[in-house]
Amino acid sequence: MKETIANAPLIQIQRNFGASSCTTPPKQANFHLFDTESGKHILLANGSRIFTISDEITQALEGNADDAEKLFEKFGLSAPAYITDEPLADVSVRSLSLAIAQKCNLGCTYCYAQEGNFGSKNKDMSAEAAMASVNLLFSEVSKGETVNLAFLGGEPLTNRKLLCECTAQAVALSKAKSVAVNFSITTNGTLVTPEDGEFFERHKFAVTVSLDGIGDVHNRLRAFKSGNESYNRILKNIRPLLKMQRDMQVSARVTVTPDNLFLRETLDEFISLGFHSVGFSPMLSSPTGKSEMGQKELDVMLEQMISCGEEFERRVAAGERFPFLNMTNALRELHKGTHRPYPCGAGAGYLGVSADGGLYACHRFVEDEDGAMGKVWDGIDRAKQNLWLSKRHVHFQEPCRSCWARYMCGGGCHHEVIKRGRAACNYIRGWLHYCLQAYIRLLEKRPDYFGV
Amino acid sequence: MSKSIEAKNLSAQLQYQAAGNPPSTLPQTAISNAFPGLEMDFRNIWKRILVGIELHESSNFVVAVDDDAPPAAGQLDNDYRLMSIEGIEFMVAVTGPLYPGGDNVSLPDTTFGDPQMSLEWSNALASIIQNYSGKSVHCVFESLENPKKTVKVKLKVRKFFDEADVNGEKVKLAVIAKDIAPPGQLTQSLCSPWQNDYRECACFYWAATRPDYVNVEARPDGTSTGNNWMQKNRTPDTPNVYIVDDWMDINLVNYTDLFRHWEESLRFIIGGKDEQPPQKVE
Repeated sequence: MKETIANAPLIQIQRNFGASSCTTPPKQANFHLFDTESGKHILLANGSRIFTISDEITQALEGNADDAEKLFEKFGLSAPAYITDEPLADVSVRSLSLAIAQKCNLGCTYCYAQEGNFGSKNKDMSAEAAMASVNLLFSEVSKGETVNLAFLGGEPLTNRKLLCECTAQAVALSKAKSVAVNFSITTNGTLVTPEDGEFFERHKFAVTVSLDGIGDVHNRLRAFKSGNESYNRILKNIRPLLKMQRDMQVSARVTVTPDNLFLRETLDEFISLGFHSVGFSPMLSSPTGKSEMGQKELDVMLEQMISCGEEFERRVAAGERFPFLNMTNALRELHKGTHRPYPCGAGAGYLGVSADGGLYACHRFVEDEDGAMGKVWDGIDRAKQNLWLSKRHVHFQEPCRSCWARYMCGGGCHHEVIKRGRAACNYIRGWLHYCLQAYIRLLEKRPDYFGV
Repeated sequence: MSKSIEAKNLSAQLQYQAAGNPPSTLPQTAISNAFPGLEMDFRNIWKRILVGIELHESSNFVVAVDDDAPPAAGQLDNDYRLMSIEGIEFMVAVTGPLYPGGDNVSLPDTTFGDPQMSLEWSNALASIIQNYSGKSVHCVFESLENPKKTVKVKLKVRKFFDEADVNGEKVKLAVIAKDIAPPGQLTQSLCSPWQNDYRECACFYWAATRPDYVNVEARPDGTSTGNNWMQKNRTPDTPNVYIVDDWMDINLVNYTDLFRHWEESLRFIIGGKDEQPPQKVE
């Protein structure tokens, strides 16, 4: 039998991380030093600014970390605080995700939606709740702005009729108000038809298909409730969409658990199938605790992510497209110097709507009082939203305040942190450390990749 | 040998104050006079955005028609102005309050009394550049003499950014295309602040380097009082009364004053007030 990473024992695919500084707790709150073949570099947390610096400056900072601010001043690196303690407030909604079907035909054990119904009864969203949601989405925007409408569940295609009605309503409002609208759907792929594909193509959907690996690896994690395998059926359904995608984008999202840590071959396979992009996300918090990643598994995942990243570097350096989503996103944000006090727009410009019309901080908080923010008919409960935004600001999170990665990570997924805690900080820092190195290398090899 | 510090990403480049550079090289402390500017006049970038004609840099007038312009565009340099591209209009009615809390009223052009004004190009043309670079667009022009006379013609939008061939693929560069800014064009119409332009450019035109209303004091009724920066021979005892700008007024600095002794005629303003003259050292 050919030995591939898929049949190798976990321990064999785990390289030695003992010598790496990137997976240990952060040394400094305000900067991170890193090396590449071309020299020494620094990331300043304030403003996510990246510099190449001399050995002399590196030594000065290593030796006098407590006086870092004075040294920044001396070297012209100081800057006013980009992010203050002041939280966002009264944020208008720009993106909504609708749980148009709180039910699912798959029985994934780790699902945050507890196999689709969020621990409640199986139900579809009513047309009234759906239309009120779409109207709410267009109620706080002006001509020329853009809104985003996402369909999630459960499996949203179990309520296809309502999905089409919502889309039509959004298109009508888009025209009437001269407000652009972007559509997206996250689907398990088991019910997708070529007609769906034509519909998504017509409305330029971003289609994300949840696939957790190749063949049996996927089947073990994402079987039908009956126990039957789903992989071949999904691929049969998705292949026509992969062929027809022009204006739509069909991407694969892989939830990484201890049972599917073979990212590199998964990435290669899905890219070769023609997915527009392929992204990985670790399972950090499941309602049952099943399939959650521990530190050992996260170390393996980091190893695998870096392996994928190195292939990305090779391909991009050779002028090829290699749509490894985690990497393309990271490089884009690092190049801009994105710095933010929150990990995402949840509870701010982005909200999730339950089948009953409840507003929640995001799709993961549906039916969960921890993230409740009113009803679509009454608008956003500003008091609850503002309380959320003030409590979730990264300056008030521990141990984030002492971590150099805080303005890039934003404190980690609210849902995962509230439900489980911060289990993946070392993984996140390790990944960012690698991405910083890759950014410097690609900036030298392919400046045009960054538009330079 | 590598440089001791090199800003790599965009946020680092924006904030970095290189050794020897003054604080004013940072965006938040810059003297903000890049419009029209001392180094280049960015407005000139828009003059040749449409193939075949040349627009005025700060209004929607057509100032020249090229030899290779489509025949329908031939008459456009005869007092025509560009009204719209692909339905996006460039003349708008300007309304707003005349004072804080006042009603929204029409705010006509102070020179011609026209309630419609042309939009500033870099904002007005943003979506055209975004969506139509390299493509032909429907343009509507209107005669200044007779607004009923319109010319509708398709003109091509020049590409704003230069492109390079990388591994057989066209890659857009972060460099302004040569066609859109021929040599010398960006440095046309530069300011001469210490000569004509401090006199020429009216109040509030210069964001920071040409103060206008100085020594300002608030009055209990919500209004204020203060001096015109151009007022000659001010002392701490000069009454705080604003002299309305008029180049003929002998109480104000005139062109000759600026040409001959701007250093003595103009005063530094610190914290909104006249800087006190330095004490002579015996």
